[in-house]
Amino acid sequence: MSSIDPDTAWQLHPQVSVRPEPFGALLYHFGTRKLSFLKDRTLLTVVEGLADASSARAACAAAGVSPEHVPTYLRALGTLVESKMLVERAA
Amino acid sequence: MSRSEQLVEPQGEVEDVIETDSLVEEVSIDGMCGVY
Repeated sequence: MSSIDPDTAWQLHPQVSVRPEPFGALLYHFGTRKLSFLKDRTLLTVVEGLADASSARAACAAAGVSPEHVPTYLRALGTLVESKMLVERAA
Repeated sequence: MSRSEQLVEPQGEVEDVIETDSLVEEVSIDGMCGVY
C-alpha cells in the first residue's frame, strides 16, 4: 500500500524528467530507469505544483482538486513516492 | 521449418508493469529497447 504524508512538502526527484502528453504526462527517472504514466492532466498539475506548495494537500487544492477527490490524488502521489519519482522537500 | 522461418524470440524483456494506480501506471525499462 503506497502512502504519502499529505501535510509534508514534496517535490519531483532531481533525476526525473516530465513530458506532458494529451492523456496526462510521462515521467522518466534517469536513476531507476522507471517510467510512470500520469493518466490525468489534473494529476500533472498537482505534481508540477508540489515544488511551490507547502504540502501535498495544498498542491491538490491549488490544482482545483475537490475535497472528495483528494484521497484519490494522494493515493496516486503515494504511488509516485514509492517509486522514488517524488521525494520529500525540506521546508 | 527452414532457418529463415523460425520464430525469433525478442531479445530482452520489453517492460514490466510494476505498479498500477487508477491515475498512475509504471513500467521499468530493462531490455535493449521496447514498445509499450
